[in-house]
Amino acid sequence: MNCVELQESLAEIEDGSRADQRAHLKTCAECSALVADLNLIASSAIDLREAEEPSPRVWNSIEIAVRQLEAELNLIASSAIELREAEEPSPRVWNSIEIALRQEGLIRPPRSSRSLLPSLSSRWAWARWMVPAAAVLLIAVGVYVRQHSLAQQLATDLATHPASAAVSDVAIAGLNDDDLLQEVSEQTPAMKAQYADNLRSVNEYIQDAKGNVDANPNDEEARRSLLEAYQEKAMLFELAMDRTQP
Amino acid sequence: MSGRTIKLVVVGAMVGAMSAGTLLAETHKEFHFNVGTKAGVSVNNPYGSISVKPSAGNTVTINAVLYSDKVEVDSSQTGNRVEIQSHLLPGATAESGRVDYEVLVPADASLTLHSNTGSLHAEKLHGDVTLEGAASTVDIRDITSAHVHVKTLNGPVTLTNVQDGHVEVDSLSGEVTLIRVTGPLVQVISTSGGINYTGDFGDSGEYRLTSHSGNIEATVPDSTSADVTASSVRGEVHDDIPLQPKTHTSFIVRQGSAFVGTMGRAAVSSTVVLRSFSGKIHLRKRTAK
Repeated sequence: MNCVELQESLAEIEDGSRADQRAHLKTCAECSALVADLNLIASSAIDLREAEEPSPRVWNSIEIAVRQLEAELNLIASSAIELREAEEPSPRVWNSIEIALRQEGLIRPPRSSRSLLPSLSSRWAWARWMVPAAAVLLIAVGVYVRQHSLAQQLATDLATHPASAAVSDVAIAGLNDDDLLQEVSEQTPAMKAQYADNLRSVNEYIQDAKGNVDANPNDEEARRSLLEAYQEKAMLFELAMDRTQP
Repeated sequence: MSGRTIKLVVVGAMVGAMSAGTLLAETHKEFHFNVGTKAGVSVNNPYGSISVKPSAGNTVTINAVLYSDKVEVDSSQTGNRVEIQSHLLPGATAESGRVDYEVLVPADASLTLHSNTGSLHAEKLHGDVTLEGAASTVDIRDITSAHVHVKTLNGPVTLTNVQDGHVEVDSLSGEVTLIRVTGPLVQVISTSGGINYTGDFGDSGEYRLTSHSGNIEATVPDSTSADVTASSVRGEVHDDIPLQPKTHTSFIVRQGSAFVGTMGRAAVSSTVVLRSFSGKIHLRKRTAK
């Protein structure tokens, strides 16, 4: 099993417990780190789910995201059916599929130094996981900031178990600032300074919002601000990823 | 003919030739699509502007100006959905990959526009509008009864005369200006950009303007009815309008950094929340002109 096959197999068994998965994980540090991250996110989500139901706003956001994804999948599916039924597909069908796949970031124009296949071993591969990971992170943070009792419990946990601190940090979602800046500098050097400035600003925003929640754990607006700060950072990565996929 | 005159003629001829070459490099393309009601139209243009206006009938018309042969326009229609993509070819740059679009869509069409650097403009529509741009200038006006979602990195965002809308604007550092924007939900989140609101906050909506370090300024007329909460962690808060104070608040109101109160008729009012960390907040009365 190689990295790509492992990545595909995680859709069925995400904890990497199957024999062939374990064999690959023993020899691949990057995949091991990825599986560890996914397991941590999954376990954190279970903990949060057990605490209390998230707010209607969180469910609403999830519903909107799912509907958008469903619409895009339907578009791809309808194009695939049209393609299958035709003996010789028209150029229009190929064209529409290409546009859909390009918008999904699944294909790129050919580059001499890069493979078209997504690979976990490539340095920018984390970006493939950034959007779903960021979504999971935001949901987790949304639940976190909604429930002050849980927030207080987490604050205690963070003090006693430093490893838990990563749960509330963007690093757990693979949102690495250095990777982002390096990729932006390679793809669009002129934008690097702007992204660096905005990264600095949004990190300050997150730190201030965290501090405000700690100081005012019963202030719902403070918790909302923390969620919004994370949303801003997720948006920054989203914009950067769009820019690097012409 | 003097030597200086000859030089001027030669330089003029060269400039003329270069201009002609530039003009020749431009390619105009036009696409037409017949669609039904509530069609979906998506334009993804990495470099260049997109301007969208309403069409007369159920037709989507795309006028594209391509600035080199390093970029193509891919178009497709699947059912009631039209998708346009600027297809960058190897070696394309921000200049050579530029395409400017003028798009006409049925007024009830849902619109999704994406550009990194060009301006994004949409007007006189009542379908949902989603605009995303990094450094793009966003200008949206005369939109009614629709969802309006905007995301930018540092491009300025201006929304004018958006009525009965569900408006969400996220900007990292771009200035956000809302003029006569009302609806059930109007939400702006900015990290370092300023937020300016000019209008009356409608009559029953929720208005949330939040910035980390950008200033927030709301200018409202006397007739405004709203429950207003404003607070800044480290910035100053100013209020030029006398508010009826509220006795019950969810947080401690510190003079100079927060205020809570009702303006106008409390029975018919919107909820307005203005929050910042280090930016200033200013609620001011609009002066009659």
